Amino acid sequence: MRDMKRITNAAALSVFWFAGLTTVVLLGAVILYVFVNGIGHINLAFIFTRPHGVNAEGGIWPMIVATLYVTGLAMLIVTPIAVLAAVYLAEYAVQGRLVRTIRFAADTLAGVPSIVMGLFGLAFFVEGLGIGFSVLSGALALSFLMLPIVMRTTEEAIRAVPKYIRWGSYGLGATKWQTVSRITIPAAMPRIITGIILATGRAVGETAVVIFTMGTMIFTPVLPTDPGRSMTVHLYQMAMEGINLPAAFGTALLLMVMILFFNLSARWLLRRNRRMQG
Amino acid sequence: MLSMLFLGGCSRASSAEHQLIVTGSTTILPISEVAAEDYHTLHPEEDVLVSGVGSSAGIENVSSGTSDIGTSSRELKDEELDLGLVDTPVAYDAIAVIVNPSNPVTSLTTAQIKAIFQGKITNWREVGGLNLPIGLVNRDEASGTREAFGKIVLDKQRFDPTAVILPGTGQVRSVVAQAPSAIGYISLGFVTDDVKAISVDGIVASEKTVVSGEYPIQRILHMFTKGEPTGLAKRYIDYVLSADIQNSVVRDAGFIPITAKAVNGG
Amino acid sequence: MAEGLRPDPMPEEREATALSVRGDAGTLKLVSKATYFKEAALKNLFLACAFMAVAAVALIFVFVGYRGWPVFTEVGASNFLFGREWLPTQDLFGILPLFVGSIVVTIGALLLGTPLAVGAAVFLSEIAPPKVRSVVRPAIELLAGVPSVVYGFFGLLILRPIVADLTGGLGFGPLTAWIILAIMIVPTIATLTEDALQSIPNGIREASYAMGATTWQTISRVLLPAAKIGIVDAIILGMGRAIGETMAVLMVVGNAPGFFRGMGKPLSTLTSQIVMDMPYASGLHRTALFGMAIILFLVSMGLVLTVRLLSRFKEEGL
Repeated sequence: MRDMKRITNAAALSVFWFAGLTTVVLLGAVILYVFVNGIGHINLAFIFTRPHGVNAEGGIWPMIVATLYVTGLAMLIVTPIAVLAAVYLAEYAVQGRLVRTIRFAADTLAGVPSIVMGLFGLAFFVEGLGIGFSVLSGALALSFLMLPIVMRTTEEAIRAVPKYIRWGSYGLGATKWQTVSRITIPAAMPRIITGIILATGRAVGETAVVIFTMGTMIFTPVLPTDPGRSMTVHLYQMAMEGINLPAAFGTALLLMVMILFFNLSARWLLRRNRRMQG
Repeated sequence: MLSMLFLGGCSRASSAEHQLIVTGSTTILPISEVAAEDYHTLHPEEDVLVSGVGSSAGIENVSSGTSDIGTSSRELKDEELDLGLVDTPVAYDAIAVIVNPSNPVTSLTTAQIKAIFQGKITNWREVGGLNLPIGLVNRDEASGTREAFGKIVLDKQRFDPTAVILPGTGQVRSVVAQAPSAIGYISLGFVTDDVKAISVDGIVASEKTVVSGEYPIQRILHMFTKGEPTGLAKRYIDYVLSADIQNSVVRDAGFIPITAKAVNGG
Repeated sequence: MAEGLRPDPMPEEREATALSVRGDAGTLKLVSKATYFKEAALKNLFLACAFMAVAAVALIFVFVGYRGWPVFTEVGASNFLFGREWLPTQDLFGILPLFVGSIVVTIGALLLGTPLAVGAAVFLSEIAPPKVRSVVRPAIELLAGVPSVVYGFFGLLILRPIVADLTGGLGFGPLTAWIILAIMIVPTIATLTEDALQSIPNGIREASYAMGATTWQTISRVLLPAAKIGIVDAIILGMGRAIGETMAVLMVVGNAPGFFRGMGKPLSTLTSQIVMDMPYASGLHRTALFGMAIILFLVSMGLVLTVRLLSRFKEEGL
């Protein structure tokens, strides 16, 4: 009986070990596969030149520019709105129907499939508002995608600021806005930035949204109204056309490195902040 | 066609006299793209932006004004005839039926090909091959190659709806190159050693058999403009039709110069 | 959100403290009127920003719905939703096979992915030594950020030929999509499940071990039941991710818009068909694609609603 119990336990635990390791191995395999096949193709020329010819030989500079441009612009659009929205939810809001509606909307927005967001961007920004296939349309559509993410992380960041700090501020006669703008937000800043970086990383990897809002034209966008092709779209097109696989791997690897960079810098910021707070 | 895109935003950009937007068939990309680059080298102040979005999207784009030239690897459909599009044929192309190099079948009749793509013949054994279920690879509906193939081989009858649908020529080729059971069709210009083009009704696809009209699955590649081409659009199309491009780029890409036949392909 | 979790429970009274103090002698104004109005204006500005989320959802619904509406009136809701043939060139816009395709792909991915994800979460939360955990957990979070198109690329080049050998077809079909989607949703489900397990107070574990329970008994009889709702939430969110996933599915599923005929036979889904058709669709066909998008929108909203109801359940003590 006692043995049985021990054996069952050992068996069950090994199943969990197996699950944990399988997950890591599977996910690691995807990364490793892209890394091994892509690393040989990445060099300065690949990053800084234009593609040419049917096989998209050469580099992917226009795609890198378009990707950073559209996500950077989306970040600029979404940050003020999302941060102020989070300030409202964390500092001002009274629990009630209104707040419940806002939270439900944010959750719904976070759950909207990216293809739906893409079609919406097409219908509203590209055609409805007549902005056309452009970096701006792409950024606006992406900002819808990022809004709930930044809102949630910012709200958590603000709530994590100890309340006695606020009391101190009020005690000195500061108004609410003075307290929020000079005390709470600065204190929460590292975590807010972390959230923004994570959301931007997510936007970098987005395909279905930008394909319908920014277009697929290989073009180095200068104005926000210029069209462009993101790295994800470029990878998709090369993969589906079955052309120039080395360049496709190179693009995939560069894309993952970019996202990894966003994620690691967010993590680093968070950790540094924790250490500083003791 | 690759995948996406209607390039709305570009219409604004292209209104500048030095920028030309060309969208449409992915089959024609080897001509339009390389010609665009060469043209830009000759006239650095002018840009020709080329995007492969599929013939149907190309025709849609040029008629709605979102691009200046729409390239198409199929003829206009009846409902597209009154859009005011002017056709400039730029090359001939054969559609090759391709199988895996390991497949012993080397020749099929048009009737057999039709039956295969309609799902009536489902095993290679029935056409003298191995006992292996046929893996049908079809193109998406936006593809001009599919449209032309369906018209010529299937008499506009229905394709087997259970076939794998791939959105790109290169993708069809790489799947057929990997799978011994697969059969697909791609532009002759895209045939490489990875796959085997089978002869149709005993005729091997080549420039000679296309020009003579013997090879049955052939078509004309088009560039459409809204009204007669003018300005940069005209200069670009003229460049595509010049001997420079026709004898080098078009041939290198595996197509047949439009000048090879003394027929007007309207 | 429970009141206790809020660092600063600040309903209207507290807001008042910032501006004025109520005392026996009436209200003592601490700030000028100008400041008061500025504060009020700012509050309303923040409210407007927060309301953007609501506005965004409404805009999406209205615009996509507006574009998709004609398909319900001109093709008819039942022909559209329950039509068995998707043949846009012949004006047949039945999305039933595509809808079934989406469900087949999602359920298969969940069946494959959930046990793995929950197992991995239990491993991380309860079994893994701290060192292993401190490496694996961030790794899984990072992997949640890998773009779907990269997963699709991997599926196309690596999984598809393997599945082709296994099933004797060309490797495009649900099986490939299941595996790829399962890999994609594991990080989502695993991290959320682990959060749910971590939120169980340690005293409960200690009590279980004190009774002489083994780790497995504690996990299976105490922790998993306690984290039940959190796990269901995680699975529902994973489901949302799977059903809405577009690019990875599109690249491996084969895109034949017919009914499910086997694991290795091509299939199509709502999401992948939208991307396939959008470039050339016009007229009624285009509205049908927007109609499909609105269906996807409603499905994802329904899933979020379910999660909400579940958490209300939980607050009320099951």
